This record gives sequence, structure tokens and C-alpha cells, in this order.
Amino acid sequence: MEERANGIEVHGLVREYKKGPRAVDGIDITVAPGEIYGFLGPNGAGKSTTVHVLTTLLPPTAGTARVGGYDVVKEGPKVRSMIGVALQEAALDPLLTGRDHLRLQATLQGVRKHRRKVQADELLIRVGLADAADRKVSGYSGGMKRRLDLALALVHMPRILFLDEPTTGLDPQSRTALWEEVARLRREEGVTVFLTTQYLEEADVLADRVGIIDQGKIVAEGTPAELKAEIGRPSVHAIPRDEQDREKIAAFLAPFGERLDTTRDVAVRLRDGLGLTDIVRAVDANGVDIADLELRAPSLDDVFLAKTGRTLEGAAEETEAR
Amino acid sequence: MRRWDVISGVAWRTLKNAILNPQIFLPTLMFPLFFFTAFAGGLSQLREIPGFDFPPGYTAFQFVFVLLQSAAFSGVFTGFGVARDFEGGFGKRLLLAAPHRSGIVLGYALAALLRWLVVAAVLTVVAVVAGMQVGGGAVDLVGLFVLAMLVNFCGFFWSGGLALRFRTIQAAPLMQMPVFLVLFFAPVYVPLELLEGWIESVASLNPLTYILETGRGFLAGDPPHALAAFGLAIGMGIAFWTWAFLGLRKAEAAGA
Repeated sequence: MEERANGIEVHGLVREYKKGPRAVDGIDITVAPGEIYGFLGPNGAGKSTTVHVLTTLLPPTAGTARVGGYDVVKEGPKVRSMIGVALQEAALDPLLTGRDHLRLQATLQGVRKHRRKVQADELLIRVGLADAADRKVSGYSGGMKRRLDLALALVHMPRILFLDEPTTGLDPQSRTALWEEVARLRREEGVTVFLTTQYLEEADVLADRVGIIDQGKIVAEGTPAELKAEIGRPSVHAIPRDEQDREKIAAFLAPFGERLDTTRDVAVRLRDGLGLTDIVRAVDANGVDIADLELRAPSLDDVFLAKTGRTLEGAAEETEAR
Repeated sequence: MRRWDVISGVAWRTLKNAILNPQIFLPTLMFPLFFFTAFAGGLSQLREIPGFDFPPGYTAFQFVFVLLQSAAFSGVFTGFGVARDFEGGFGKRLLLAAPHRSGIVLGYALAALLRWLVVAAVLTVVAVVAGMQVGGGAVDLVGLFVLAMLVNFCGFFWSGGLALRFRTIQAAPLMQMPVFLVLFFAPVYVPLELLEGWIESVASLNPLTYILETGRGFLAGDPPHALAAFGLAIGMGIAFWTWAFLGLRKAEAAGA
């Protein structure tokens, strides 16, 4: 196969459903070869639709997308040869074993016959399924299915990997293992990774750059550090021991910065030049009993809040309610 | 080569599922055997009707019908599998993994054929053991089985086309019923000449009648309208092939 840069370029991509909303509304994305791009957004924001278009599963309504240098509409077979995909719902055949799945996937992807078994055995070990390889998938746990799905996506050694919410429903141990594997693929094999997630931590830990999508549009893009730097200042969160002190705390915290809309605690975004010491002094001076006082660096949720006026969690609830 | 990889992969997986899971394979095998036993055994006195002229006998007369029926239904039942795969999301995996997606449809078609060949072999052995007489030579028998193979393709491409459009097993009655009607509006129990009334009119217009009569003719060593039968079978095969591939385009446009 002709050697191509394994990047992704998307311009003005639109996907409309019949009688439905505009799921993707004119987005532009550039993912450099060997980069891990985190695509962050609440449920229903357009993440999965974008992945479906980029992996040639859905045709776009408008705009262009090139994956590994190939046009997703005109050169679908070449795109599919180059990519590995693990979708949100691991569609597996419950009647086949894990090894059967790998054999099938390797055959479909055109892996040479003598390599299929070797490749399958290596991957089964790598994802920790060697012992369960000959059991029917119907007996696998959710985490095992996810790991098998990842192995299937890797069976033909793709140059670009699409992972659609790969850790949803995984226990913390499996989640960390998957993160390590994704990081290794990028580090050792130079694989480009397009990762959708609704977990801020996941995007923060894994992604070189993050795109935040909401209602089909990209509302922010950059490295996690850049995005947080846009928000800039840390916030202070105080939990009163006595609920009646809430307004008193809010009043003496007001000079330190703008108040944040939170329910559990009283919080302010600190003005430049102020720190936790100033707050502690103020608490002491006002004689209020505080149960907990925390200084928080800006998170990607703060970025989402700043760009959309909602928290990620709130946006997800709104989407579900629509 | 890549397309063949897809074809062989899909066929291997479909067959493995069928072989390892009796609930998938047994209906394909049991229905023809049941019909053959019921028709050839229970209705064998029909050969005594004046004007019933089929030298190899009633067992052979019914064998051809059941062979064609098994061919059609092996195709239809494979179409059920396509609908199940796309309903459960496995179709999406195939669409994503196969560089050449036409290979997916052809893989299922190959599985339908191989599945039917097993049924046909069992059915033939049972018929021979039951005393079926064969008047035709080797070429005639090849003609009969090739004709049945074309019916198998038609059955699969018809139901596969529907499965790819509806992508749910709820479409199963729609896949099955027309095939069932076409089969039973052909001269199943007696030759066309002995039918009367509306069933004779319907049977005369039914393309399967010519295929069935030619098939019986092959077994007797004297196929009456072989060219027309093959022409019809190939014509329908091309039409249903087109139907199935347009169905694939629909599934692709919908993102499966």
C-alpha cells in the first residue's frame, strides 16, 4: 500500500438526519499524524456521528473529510484498510468465541493467512483475554467485550485508530489498562488516535489536543493546558459546617472574585494575584466554621462551562430531556 | 483477493454459526425432510390419477419440488441471519471491516449455497434410500442441481435485499411469505396438465412452474423447456442480485 501520512482533516462537515436535527453542524478538525485527539462532549453532542462519518459508516451531508489522506466518500475502501474502529456498542456475535472474532476480523481486513493466528494470539495476550479466547462471547463481561473490541480494532495494525467512548462502563482497573495501551500505541507505533469521550479525566490524561463539541458545533479546541489557561484562574470552594453560614461565607468571599454557580459549596473564581492563604486569613478573621476548603485548578469542565454556559453533566441531562 | 477475503470470512462465520447452533441449521434441514416424507409418502396414491405421467414415480416427482423448496428456503433463512446481524449491530462491524462491501453480500450468498448443499446431499440420500428412480443421466442431474442452485441464489438475494432494507428480523414474514406462495402456487402435487380452475391459471403464470417442470424433466431424462427455465432462473437471479446490492446501498446510507 502507498505510504500516506496518518492524519485526519475535516472541513465544514455536516451530517443531517432525515426529519431530525443537524447532528454535526459544520465542524473543522485537523489531527496530526501520531497525535491523540480527544473529542469531548455530552451525550447527543455529535461525537459518535462524527466518528461514523470519518470511519465511512455514514455519508456526510456536506463538507469534506480525509482520513490518512483518503476521502471518506470517494475512497471508502482505502480508508477502511487504514483504520481500526471500536464503536461505543461493541457489536460482537454472542455465538462466536473471542478467537473466532479475531480470525474473522483478520480475514475481512485481508491479513495474510500465515499471520492471522500469530496476530490473534499476540493480541489476546496483550488485552488479557488469552485464557478466555476459546469461550463464547456470550459469557464475557462488559469489560472483556470492550477489550476484545479493542483487539479487533488492532488486528490489521491500523495507522489510525477511532475509539468511540472506549471506557464507558469499564471498572477503574480496566480503564487504566486501556489508557496505557492507547498511550503505548501512540508512543511505540505512531498510531493516530481519535478518541471520543464524555469523561474529562480521560481527555485530560490521554489527549494531546482536545476538541469540545456541543450541539454539533466545536466550541473549543486546543491542548488541555491551553484550554484551561483560557479560563486561567483557579477557584476556591468552601463547604460551611453550618448551612446557615452559607450567605455569610459568600459575602466575605465576594471581594476575592466572581461567584460560581454551585449547589454543594460556596465558590469563587479567584482574581489574579490572590491565593489560598488570603482566603484562609479571611475565614479566620470572620470566625466562620468551615468543614472543607479547596483550591481547584481549572478543569475541562470549567472550559465547557465557560464556552457553553453549562456543565458537561448538565448538558447531558438536557440532551436526555430533549 | 481482498474481496475474496471478505466473501470467505463472512461465509465461514455464517456457516460456523449454523453448524454450531442447531436451532439455526435444523429448520433448514427438517422442513424439506418433513415435506418430502409427507408428500412422497402420504400422497403417493396421486400417481394413480389418470393422466399422471411421470415414469420415475411419485417419490422422484416430489423430490424435485422439495429440492427446489430447500434451495429457496436455505436462501431465505440465510436472509434471516442478515437481518439479525444488522439488527444486533454486527452488520456495522462487517461494514467497517470490509474494504469491499459487496463481498459481505456475496459471503452470505456463498454461505446460503453451502448450507443448501448439505441439505441437498441429505435429501438426495434419503430419497435414494426411499426408492427414488432416476431416469436422467449425469448431465441431466447436473442440470437439475444447477437449476436448484439458481433458485437458492434467488431465494437469498430476495430475502437478503429485504433484510438490508429493513435491518430487523421483524421483516422475516415479508421475506418468507412470497417465496412460500410462489412455491405452492406451482404444480406441487400433480403435473400442470392435471390442474384445473384458478390454480391452473396461476400456476401457468408462475415462473417456478417452468423451473419445477424442467427439474422433473431432468430427473426423468427429458427436460421439457430447459432453455426457458434457465433463462427465467438466471433472469430472476440478476434481478434479485440487483435488488440485494441496492439494499446494501440503503444500509450503507443509513449507517446500518
